[in-house]
Amino acid sequence: MSTRWYPLYQRGNPQLRVFLPNFWMKLIRPSEPQPKNIVTFSVSMEMTKHDVKNYLEKIYKVPVMDVRTRIALGATKRDVTYGYVTKHDDMKIAYVTLPKEMEFTFPEMFTKKDDAKKADEKAMEDTKQGFKQFLERNKKRPGTPGWYSI
Amino acid sequence: MLLSRGTKLWKVRSVPLCRLYNSTTTKNALAATQKATDNDEYWETPQYPEIKDTSFDGRKKDEAKTWHEQIQKTPTVEEKLIKINMPRYYGYKVVHMNEERLPYNCLPAIQHYTRTHFEPMENEVKEDEKLSAFVTALKERIVDVVEFSHDFYRYKLDLNPEMDAVEREKTYTQIIVEQIHRELTNNLAADFPHLHELEVDYKPRHEAFWAVGGIEAPKNVIKSKEGREWQKDSAKDPVDRFMQYKSEPYLALRHQSQLQPWKNENEYTNLTLAKGLPRYEYDPRTLGYITGYQHGTNIPGYWPSNVNTFGFISYQTRAPFLRRPESYGEEDKLNALHAHAIQSSFAWLLAQANYYGFNTFSELTYPMNTQTILTNGKQWSFYEYQLNTLLMYGNQVDENPRVNNCRGTTELTLYQEIDSNGKVVGFNEEVLKHLIKCYSKTPDVRRSVDELTPFLDKQYKRIADYPDEEKRSFLDKVFKHMCSNRPRHLELPEIYMWEKIYKIDNKTRPMDAKRRFFELSINPWKRTLDQYDKVYIPKAERPEGPKSKNKFRKTYFP
Repeated sequence: MSTRWYPLYQRGNPQLRVFLPNFWMKLIRPSEPQPKNIVTFSVSMEMTKHDVKNYLEKIYKVPVMDVRTRIALGATKRDVTYGYVTKHDDMKIAYVTLPKEMEFTFPEMFTKKDDAKKADEKAMEDTKQGFKQFLERNKKRPGTPGWYSI
Repeated sequence: MLLSRGTKLWKVRSVPLCRLYNSTTTKNALAATQKATDNDEYWETPQYPEIKDTSFDGRKKDEAKTWHEQIQKTPTVEEKLIKINMPRYYGYKVVHMNEERLPYNCLPAIQHYTRTHFEPMENEVKEDEKLSAFVTALKERIVDVVEFSHDFYRYKLDLNPEMDAVEREKTYTQIIVEQIHRELTNNLAADFPHLHELEVDYKPRHEAFWAVGGIEAPKNVIKSKEGREWQKDSAKDPVDRFMQYKSEPYLALRHQSQLQPWKNENEYTNLTLAKGLPRYEYDPRTLGYITGYQHGTNIPGYWPSNVNTFGFISYQTRAPFLRRPESYGEEDKLNALHAHAIQSSFAWLLAQANYYGFNTFSELTYPMNTQTILTNGKQWSFYEYQLNTLLMYGNQVDENPRVNNCRGTTELTLYQEIDSNGKVVGFNEEVLKHLIKCYSKTPDVRRSVDELTPFLDKQYKRIADYPDEEKRSFLDKVFKHMCSNRPRHLELPEIYMWEKIYKIDNKTRPMDAKRRFFELSINPWKRTLDQYDKVYIPKAERPEGPKSKNKFRKTYFP
């Protein structure tokens, strides 16, 4: 459903307008450890507990036992140049309890990236070690170019 | 010459020092002098003092142990509770537990928090001649009582039709429970004389406070520990949470003797069983419990001077179950009933044990029993609870071999319905049998005063025993205030939103005078119970005369 009013008839075009629902839910990773049957969502600020429950049950056919919501305060940030304070929007967070036999784990979608990062870090570490060894070797003859030794 | 004189002087000055050093007996030497006989100059094996763990964790554990020992040594019941509450002026952060909040799938959590092993009990009572005689004698009367109660409830409903469903159920159940209790005691007292001695509490306050270990640390604790280099490794260690139970049963019956325990020590001391108990290690808030700040209170529904101190039966409400969504299912409802029976029985027994000098840091030395009935007038479930241990703090969750025991029936229906003429249809005798069984149990365990109160002082068991009137009235005032659950007369200092944004999160006002508590590194939560301005005595009232310099009233905090 939409919280926007359907526009009154007016002459002219376009006559038919389509509104997308402004009810949305976004799965988020829980910030603290919690039981396997609880799923955390960031939801539209207008949605109530009943809306969340119906959204999941009617659209996605997910059995919902319980919904708890809270409103998280948006973080404030100071502008580096001018020093004024800006604030992110507040966020409604919904904790949805599934039946106790069900489990949900937030997917790890960026493992590949992590691996690549680790490889990069390892290469960097190796280079650092190599440079340290080089310095150690040339301790008694500072300033010697790298190609000098055998 | 000068040098040699200097040396001499140094020698003269240092001799007394050395002598002092030589003459001081070290701890080892002290230990060595305490020998078995005077003839032996030395011990055969060297005597060393205890080696203390000087690491951060070790010192913290040592501090906690000392605190627990101090609580155990505190003489009176009231002072023990004050001692427990000493570290917090505005109260501890506690997890509120009550029948209003029984979240989905809460049984494992409540079993963990109360260290309770639950076993189902047979719904059918073993029939014998005596029991069936009682049932035949009482059946008609109980049916009458139900009809009368229903009639009276209709009348009350007419007076106040605005009541919501929960309130209606509470009103109806209060009437029916009181009437059934009256009928049972009137008719059974001739055969069971202990029913004459019962003391009845109507809607008493039952509150209990205890610490539970083995729960994951919340995010703010982890973050704060990670900020300190020496605590980084232990940042994710489990922490203790304080639980506060508060409830009002319809009726609580008490007697001066204890009920017979139904599990012996070998049965309830079992480490494998204890380790097999359900654990809920996540933060209680993840389940839907809420937290608040308050002093820990242990209130069994009477003051410490009462004689009838042992619980016999408590009738607990199940009216808030009407607010639980139906989507939770029948199985979860049954589990929640068990969970409520466990928490209410545990809390009542803990509060009773508190009046005998036991608390969450001092272990019980004998088991305590009670019976609990959950009812809404129509549906009845019967439970028996045996409290064997109170230790759940810290590592006890892994180390304590004792468990508490609970057994109970499922829901039983007293009657099918009450028809339009106000007549009971489909009366179930099984419920009546259970009720008779509960009332016929004779509380006959009597213990000596020393056995009952091992951790209370021999002479002063309550503050009322103190001869010093000033001390007595001071402690009484502090204790009564603590038990009243009233907040402090001055509210906690507050951080306003603009301060959080412009002073704490973003330091935009460096030139402002730093006068607020958070700018002066004062944590108001860490204020202790005795940190307040002492009461001034006007000159004319000073006991030692107007010239006396004792300007303030003495305090007697334990």
